[in-house]
Amino acid sequence: MTGDSKEIEVYRNPIVRLLDVEIGYKKTEPLVKIPNLEIFPGEIVAIAGPSGVGKTTLLRTIAGLVRPISGSVEVCGAVSPSKPSKGILGYVPQRLGLIRHTSVMHNVMIGANAGHNKSLWSILPSSLAKKYASEAINSMGLSDKLREPIRRLSGGQQRRVATARTLAQRPSLIMADEFLSELDEDTMDMVLTAVTQYVRQSGAALLVVEHDVSRAKSMADRLLVIDDGRVNPFITEATAMEVKI
Amino acid sequence: MKFNEILSIRGNFLIKATPFLIFISSIVVFNGMVDDWGRLSGSIDNLFVFIRESLWPPDWSVIEPQAYPICTAYPLIDFTCSTAWIGLLETLKIAFVSTVFGMILSLPISLLAARNLNPWWLSYSSRFILAAFRSLPSIIWAIFFVILVGFGPLSGVLAMTVYTIGYLGKLQYEAIEGMNKTPLYAAEAMGLSRFETAFQVVIPESANDLISQAIFMFEYNFRHGTVIGIVGAGGIGYYINLYLKFLQYDKVIAYLIIIFIVVLLIDMISIFARSFFTEEGDMPKPSWFHVILPASMIKK
Ligand SMILES: Nc1ncnc2c1ncn2[C@@H]1O[C@H](COP(=O)(O)OP(=O)(O)OP(=O)(O)O)[C@@H](O)[C@H]1O
Ligand SMILES: [Mg+2]
Repeated sequence: MTGDSKEIEVYRNPIVRLLDVEIGYKKTEPLVKIPNLEIFPGEIVAIAGPSGVGKTTLLRTIAGLVRPISGSVEVCGAVSPSKPSKGILGYVPQRLGLIRHTSVMHNVMIGANAGHNKSLWSILPSSLAKKYASEAINSMGLSDKLREPIRRLSGGQQRRVATARTLAQRPSLIMADEFLSELDEDTMDMVLTAVTQYVRQSGAALLVVEHDVSRAKSMADRLLVIDDGRVNPFITEATAMEVKI
Repeated sequence: MKFNEILSIRGNFLIKATPFLIFISSIVVFNGMVDDWGRLSGSIDNLFVFIRESLWPPDWSVIEPQAYPICTAYPLIDFTCSTAWIGLLETLKIAFVSTVFGMILSLPISLLAARNLNPWWLSYSSRFILAAFRSLPSIIWAIFFVILVGFGPLSGVLAMTVYTIGYLGKLQYEAIEGMNKTPLYAAEAMGLSRFETAFQVVIPESANDLISQAIFMFEYNFRHGTVIGIVGAGGIGYYINLYLKFLQYDKVIAYLIIIFIVVLLIDMISIFARSFFTEEGDMPKPSWFHVILPASMIKK
């Protein structure tokens, strides 16, 4: 996270660009207004805010699962309602969305296939996908659980499987909703290191929802606090000196 | 008392009285359909006469080898040349084949019929197809196919397959619609195609339900398969119909007892097999004891 590399990246096209966006489930009751938000390659952005304020809804809007009430949402050049092509976008939902009865490997392979098998009719996994899947499982410390069905894992282990699924996909944008919950300090470090390393090396962007503000500040380049239905761009202490506006 | 208090008491009374009123109206409707209740009085006597003179004892010659064709099996297993064995086996085969074919054909349709995976026009038109297949019982389909392709198990298989598509398809799309939404959101965010979502997410996630429904359907098809032979669509029903026509009720009762026992067996095997796929699968494996006793009698 040096100043130099950031400067170069800032001039690239943003991976996410929101302009005058209102999000929510009812047209008459927008939850959050976002005047302007751009996320650049290699950048880590955290979202914090009280429970029920609309953090998950913001991620789901960027993922194209919820239509924005107004404004334009652009992800990797695809402006809503059109979506980025297969495998570009990785999502670790707050409720994980794992298949409970199948193995860790099967779940992670879904992500790996999405990222490395461009055919839309793929059922047979490619060897590349298999390689990335086992790498991701290793980096989440789950290599001894390969064949274990999800329902037999602990809550924190399940959360790591969901993270591994997204890492194996090697997407350009990772959106992770509370992906560090339920983890002890050491495991949290391991997960965070793996994800951060991927983001910095590949030039993907990471957008995380993290209700713990101090943890959010320590991991992110920027912290967005949603309060009263407005995103307040908040500059973390680490980078505040450099980017002082 | 205020007016609305009186009203609420009366409303309450009406709600409690409703089951009673429904029962009374069923009696009234029944009475309207029966012209002469005197007919019932002779029925018990008729039953005893019928049992003594025609039904009992069952004629177990149905499990002896047929006179023709000559039985070539070992004497010990020569029951395999009997009409009961041949008919039963054919019914089992018809049920098996039509359950498998029905499942293969109903799964794609039910994937299209699930409202959580498809636009409304697609799901409702697929539901329409399934409802049409289901609207006629398999015996009516059997009559239809006997007319089309003639007597024999082929029309039985076709009839039961069509019905299976309609019935199993409904069970399947309901299971799919009941599945957890988050895996679908994750798949949609990743940009998986509908085909990939079906194979990698939907089918694995609802596999337990799908398997348990297919086992149930096999059991259902066997029970109904005993009937379709009556219209000439193969299976044990053919022989039952034959002896009914010749008024050989003691042979008919022998068949019915055999069917009863086999249905009971398949029922138990089906419950046993399905118990591996219904609940979480983390529960202790069921014992045969659990299968025979109703669940309510076993302390959890
Ligand atoms: N599918 C939905 N349909 C309608 N309203 C919803 C739906 N999902 C969430 N909401 C509402 O939208 C609001 C924001 O929910 P959201 O899940 O975005 O909150 P959050 O900020 O992620 O909270 P938490 O930190 O507790 O996860 C809540 O008031 C919730 O009731
Ligand atoms: Mg949330």
